[in-house]
Amino acid sequence: MIEGLVYIFLFLAAVFNLMGLVGILLFPDPYTRLQASSTCSTTAVISVFIAVMIEAGFSAITGKVLVITLFFFVSSPVGAHIIARYAWNMGIVPWRKLRKLSSKDFLHD
Amino acid sequence: MTTTLAFDLIGYLFVASSVVSLYRVLWGPTIPDRLLGLNVASAQILAILVLYAAKEKLHVYLDVALVYDIFGFVGILALTKFLEKRHRKGE
Amino acid sequence: MRVRSKWKLVRILFTTIWLYGGWLLYTGSFEAISLSLGAIASLFVAIITYDLFIAEYEAARKGLLVRIHYGILYLLYLLAQMYLSSFAVLINILRGNINPRVVHFRTRLHSDLARVLLATSITLTPGTIALELQEDHLIVHWLDAKTLHSKYAGILIKGKMETLLSRVLL
Repeated sequence: MIEGLVYIFLFLAAVFNLMGLVGILLFPDPYTRLQASSTCSTTAVISVFIAVMIEAGFSAITGKVLVITLFFFVSSPVGAHIIARYAWNMGIVPWRKLRKLSSKDFLHD
Repeated sequence: MTTTLAFDLIGYLFVASSVVSLYRVLWGPTIPDRLLGLNVASAQILAILVLYAAKEKLHVYLDVALVYDIFGFVGILALTKFLEKRHRKGE
Repeated sequence: MRVRSKWKLVRILFTTIWLYGGWLLYTGSFEAISLSLGAIASLFVAIITYDLFIAEYEAARKGLLVRIHYGILYLLYLLAQMYLSSFAVLINILRGNINPRVVHFRTRLHSDLARVLLATSITLTPGTIALELQEDHLIVHWLDAKTLHSKYAGILIKGKMETLLSRVLL
């Protein structure tokens, strides 16, 4: 039972990690890459922490990992926010999906 | 424990993905891309440290992990402050 | 003057309690020397840094008191929300179909800590990143934008987090 939970969380970590990497490599501009990385790093790493906490049971390791998890809960989004604000203040324009022009756009009535 | 093998595999996966995310550090077109790659790599190395500590039951690695997390965060903050100042001076 | 020094004592006390909690969780040992050393060290650090942790105009509010049960509930809700929206972003990555936009909206939380926590939670749930937080005005980058209307976007993004946060921090 407990081992099953550990395996589930490790599997989730692997999936989120790989998908986040794909997002980081393929997305078009810094903001969207930041979205993918905040998925990738935060969710995968927190899944690993939860798996470790379940595996260790009630011990000193769990307390320490809990502190690291709480700190990571704060530090990772704030890091992403700092980078995003830097890009925003630098004047990088967010990428936008271009709308396909249809015949309606040329009809003026 | 039988979970040791799974921990090993996930550790190797994280090592490989932190190497891949260095692509953005080296060839990122803009500065935020490079910072983002550093952020991702540091988070994955943090996960590797915690996995290793849980596998070997070594508490020292957890202390290292906490300090590593704090320093990664402060490093990103200091880099952006420095770059913002330089950016403003350059204009 | 006397009121100020009284509030200063309260601020130092609260900082010490938070630091001591962190020490207890992290060392995980209940020997006498560890406990006393932690108390002395956290008091020392609190005397140096209380001004950074709790600003003077924040002290008079009840915002220092955290309701623990609502805090744990908020953490669990945030965790569930994080996994759900991660799956949403994963599907977006797989389909390669994104529609990123920048939206603005306001929050009605009052204390600084609650606003920062709201911005952090918005960034933590993937699919949205807080770009700028000024007073009560948030600029958010949204990966899969459903709407551009400010109020509706605020409702969609903040969800239940705002009401829960207003219960966590009085």
